[in-house]
Amino acid sequence: MAMLSFERKYRVRGGTLIGGDLFDFWVGPFYVGIFGVMTAFFAFLGTVLIFYGASLQGTFNPWTISIAPPDLKYGLGLAPLAEGGLWQIITICAIGSFVSWALREVEICRKLGMGYHVPVAFGVAIFAYVTLVVIRPVLLGAWGHGFPYGIFSHLDWVSNVGYQYLNFMYNPAHMIAVTFFFTTTLALSLHGALVLSAANPAKGEAVKTPEHENAYFRDFIGYSIGTIGIHRLGLFLALSAGFWSAVCIVISGPFWTQGWPRWWSWWLDLPIWS
Amino acid sequence: MSTQIKSSIRFGAIAAASLGLGLLLAACQQNPPEATQQNGYRGVALEQVQSPKILAKLAEANQAPEVVPPGDRTGPRASQVYQNVKVLGDLSETEFTRIMVAMTGWVAPGGVAGSDEGQGCSYCHNLNNMADESKYQYQTARRMIQMTREINSNWTNHVGATGVSCYTCHRGNPIPAQTWFTGGGHPKNLADGGGWIGANNGQNLAGKHVGRASLPADPFTPLIQFAETIRVTGKTALPTAKGENIAVAERTNALMNHMSDSLGVNCTFCHNSRAFSEWKDAPPQRVNAFHGIRMLRELNANYLAPLNTTYPATKLGPEGDAAKAYCATCHQGAQKPLNGAPMLGEYPELGAPRP
Amino acid sequence: MGLLTTIDYQNIFTRVQVRGPDDLGVPIAKGIYERGTKTSHNYWFGKLGDAQIGPVYLGVWGLLSIACGIIAIEIIGLNMWASVNWDPVQFVRQLFWLGLEPPLAKHGLNPFIPLNEGGWFLMTGLFFTLSVLFWWARTYTRARALGMGTHVPWAFAAAIWLMLVLGFIRPVAMGCWCEAVPYGIFPHLDWVQAFSIRYGNLHYNPFHAFSIVFLYGSVLLFAMHAGTILAVTRYGGEREIEQIVDRGTASERAALFWRWTMGFNASMESIHRWAWWFAVLTPITGGIGILLTGTVVDNWYLWAQHYGFAPSYPPVHPPVVDPALLPGAR
Repeated sequence: MAMLSFERKYRVRGGTLIGGDLFDFWVGPFYVGIFGVMTAFFAFLGTVLIFYGASLQGTFNPWTISIAPPDLKYGLGLAPLAEGGLWQIITICAIGSFVSWALREVEICRKLGMGYHVPVAFGVAIFAYVTLVVIRPVLLGAWGHGFPYGIFSHLDWVSNVGYQYLNFMYNPAHMIAVTFFFTTTLALSLHGALVLSAANPAKGEAVKTPEHENAYFRDFIGYSIGTIGIHRLGLFLALSAGFWSAVCIVISGPFWTQGWPRWWSWWLDLPIWS
Repeated sequence: MSTQIKSSIRFGAIAAASLGLGLLLAACQQNPPEATQQNGYRGVALEQVQSPKILAKLAEANQAPEVVPPGDRTGPRASQVYQNVKVLGDLSETEFTRIMVAMTGWVAPGGVAGSDEGQGCSYCHNLNNMADESKYQYQTARRMIQMTREINSNWTNHVGATGVSCYTCHRGNPIPAQTWFTGGGHPKNLADGGGWIGANNGQNLAGKHVGRASLPADPFTPLIQFAETIRVTGKTALPTAKGENIAVAERTNALMNHMSDSLGVNCTFCHNSRAFSEWKDAPPQRVNAFHGIRMLRELNANYLAPLNTTYPATKLGPEGDAAKAYCATCHQGAQKPLNGAPMLGEYPELGAPRP
Repeated sequence: MGLLTTIDYQNIFTRVQVRGPDDLGVPIAKGIYERGTKTSHNYWFGKLGDAQIGPVYLGVWGLLSIACGIIAIEIIGLNMWASVNWDPVQFVRQLFWLGLEPPLAKHGLNPFIPLNEGGWFLMTGLFFTLSVLFWWARTYTRARALGMGTHVPWAFAAAIWLMLVLGFIRPVAMGCWCEAVPYGIFPHLDWVQAFSIRYGNLHYNPFHAFSIVFLYGSVLLFAMHAGTILAVTRYGGEREIEQIVDRGTASERAALFWRWTMGFNASMESIHRWAWWFAVLTPITGGIGILLTGTVVDNWYLWAQHYGFAPSYPPVHPPVVDPALLPGAR
């Protein structure tokens, strides 16, 4: 049975954004909804096209399959299927299924009477993806600036884009994004560890309380942000990581074309130094 | 909260956001669209993305000089007409005069500001006796002409049929604007560590010649002058011999930064960065760059570095070395020096000496 | 329309701050050092989380850690300042460029070398490591003093592993202190890039890939977890420990949200285990990837080609041959 012991009372009708009762049901553990149908449609079509692209490429090695965007010469127009057209359709499918997924999350939130934090957070991730494959290519004037869909081929793209700016790590927005990535992971480890250490105390001890968590962090670093605060901080850190990633790539090319080390000239050449 | 406070907060937030966005855009060199060019198989960002504004500025800054009208190639040779002509003696008299006139405009049209070194012909020559070798500029010019002919005849794998002239580097300056001295502008005592102060190994300051990275400021002395190995990447999948350490790799990185910066191109102009050392996937420009490095090694070793005994002390670098050439000396930010103007085609006198 | 008519409270920040008496913490056993009693409050901290700052427990490990940390930072800072000839203006101007370099290659693993050729660097490494290890002892003793589990110290140990690999274990394995990472903002970034170039592209290092997956995964997990908890705070979802031992409707809704979304859900306790492992595996796998580089693998791209996971692309240019291999090359 696909239902948890307490699940039945939560499975209520309603809460849909559009379409009323249409598709307002579950398949196994999954809620469907109209956006579930759309997600499934786009995901299925995209996956089939990836396999078709792989067959054109002549490999089914999952590490080396690569669905490449069109040549730059096609600009913002459509390309033949085998020359980047597949990438264009798969990109539409990806965005369609991501957005549908987010809207389906909204519907589930509404069914469960929850806040919209998760779909909003997912929206930031979608924004970062759209920045990579739509906003930046449009600013640069060709779909060919998008990244290829492949496990190692997309890393080749990352490498080449990085070295277009000689050392991408000098990109100030990249520095901020990486800092947020590391800080989020640090905060996640501390939060996970703190909760586990309260729920799994030393041998022979009773389960601890949030007061113990507070005491531990105040003893440790002089501040405890508290049980709600850590989740607000975590969400902020995580979304900032995604947001600044989008910023660091969208400025590379559309707004800056030389080496990122050279960008710092404005600082080195400020008139205040001499 | 009253509506008034709410709306003023909203206004403040919008104002702050627009200010931030404005500052961000102000720090940009360029708004889209950019000039883009594909340089490899689609999808893996083997491309050049360049700013049309910067390209236009570079094109403007790298205009070729007006051509001095060509002269009659027949008649007696310059070595028969003039005294002490050791390097351009194979030219006709009119050709010889033409090059002298052109050189004056290329190298010393105005002389050096605030110096008594002379200008025009007198920058190199004793006007009372044009054959007098005593001025160091005269001796230097002779060596430079030999170097130019060496480049144009023996380094066609780098300069092609385009060739170079004095102007390629000099641009109307007695001393080319972009040259390097050992140390790359780092005070030597700091690079080596003064007494008990930690050595910074000649790096970790904004490097003038290496795209303002904190990489080694002078990769040229070891890699160009002493021809040490530039290739640092492991040659086999598994370690077989002791490889180079990271400081050595940073030195190569610094030289490559200089090359990119000098030509206004990025790393993927010559490399598929997923495997810098591989030639198989590399764009063909890399071959040209390879010969450029070899050319620089020869020119610096045979022509430029030995001039340290010819130059007056005031023209030498902090370590007593002569000014030397690197990519920026000719390229000056442009992928093709002087926008690819055919210097050898217009001045065949600067080619290989005729028999 | 449904969405517009049911706009309701979304937990983002604290709208009304209540300030009761200070919480001076769960009592701990008496020792040589005692927990401080000083507290203060910050309004903006209160917007996001708890407004109370302090009290803090200093203790012997804390004192030792701070002392060693200060020594390490002083050595780095003074070396940086010296490298601009003690010019305060240039120190500020070039701060991001300044660095303290590891020892020269010629010194190998010799620990007793001239200060200006890497001695300062080794000294910094010693004090920095001591500082971090004393801080680790602090995380451990503070947890035990409160009778709590030791999950924080072991998570911190994973980060220490990566630090030791970069600055100690790998250099020892390579036989040269010169393999260590320089101290400095841009200098360490230069090092990272040169390291990747030297060893044939770190992107093809599978453990680098794992580490990135866990890093991004951690960010994803924190967004998912934090978002979920904030979304059920209206049911008391932030009281995670209570929800672990006595599941309430907040946990049920949080679980069902993910079950209905992706067919799978964690429990209020297990999500923190997922979180802990993702975060901890980031430096563990990263450290393995660094340690293998240069010691076991010299060129990751060639290694990837050997194992058939480097993609190949149709040629675009006429084939290029290394000119150094051609006859007459100079």
